[in-house]
Amino acid sequence: MTKPIDVAVEKNRDPRETPESYFVPATDVYETAEELTLVAEMPGVRPEGLAVTVEDNVLVIHGKPEGREAPAGELLLKEFEVGEFYRAFQLPADYDTEKIEAGIRQGVLTLHLPKSDRLKPRRIEVKAE
Amino acid sequence: MAIRAWVPAAEPFALLQREMNRVFDAVFGKHFGVGRARSAYVYPATNVHETEEAYVVECEVPGLEMDDLEVYVTGDMLTLSGTRAETIPSEGASLHRRERDTGRFSRAITLAGPVQGDKTEATLAHGILTVRVPKAEESKPKRIQVKAEK
Repeated sequence: MTKPIDVAVEKNRDPRETPESYFVPATDVYETAEELTLVAEMPGVRPEGLAVTVEDNVLVIHGKPEGREAPAGELLLKEFEVGEFYRAFQLPADYDTEKIEAGIRQGVLTLHLPKSDRLKPRRIEVKAE
Repeated sequence: MAIRAWVPAAEPFALLQREMNRVFDAVFGKHFGVGRARSAYVYPATNVHETEEAYVVECEVPGLEMDDLEVYVTGDMLTLSGTRAETIPSEGASLHRRERDTGRFSRAITLAGPVQGDKTEATLAHGILTVRVPKAEESKPKRIQVKAEK
């Protein structure tokens, strides 16, 4: 099975849709007999700020920190910045993109991509001759 | 007043590494690495704001639930610990990419002044833990009435 690979965003996407600066979400990708699963960390992103699109087998995840407000007061320690998350994956043509399921909980996006039927393991009945 | 982040073990090296990464990221752009806290070598990535009333500590803990987290205030020290669970099935799955970290973590942050630890409030929403630690009464700024002398 071909691995899904990151694509050069500029070559494949409309530059108007690509944020100028963004964070690349840390992502786990694993595959079972039935499906491919992507788990991407986007802390602070709510369901309404998230867009998942597939076009020409390029999967794009884009999260915006909508509705997030920084606390008032003086900043004493800064280890993260609030911004957009963006990442694109080139998918092999083996997935049923119509049936992708997406859910986000506590800032973690989980995508289930079912394999098209012809890729699922099938047991061949062996007949005695 | 500065706030000190205490990094368990290897502290000077972790702090040096973090500072170098911060400079590097600033020069080469934000989308240089994957994830946010990854290059920091401390988890969770934390921002602290100070108001007149309280210290507000925000931590990025994507995927964790309140039950996975322990928050303590001891004196002027805030301690966060917990476990990031493994989400990849151990059997029947082949791995293409593994970027999310798992396992136990613990972190302590020394707040800049005396606080009322028993009045601390912690909330978790969309992968961000927010801990509000009210300042002790004696450390809140008080306006002094200036009287005109007759």
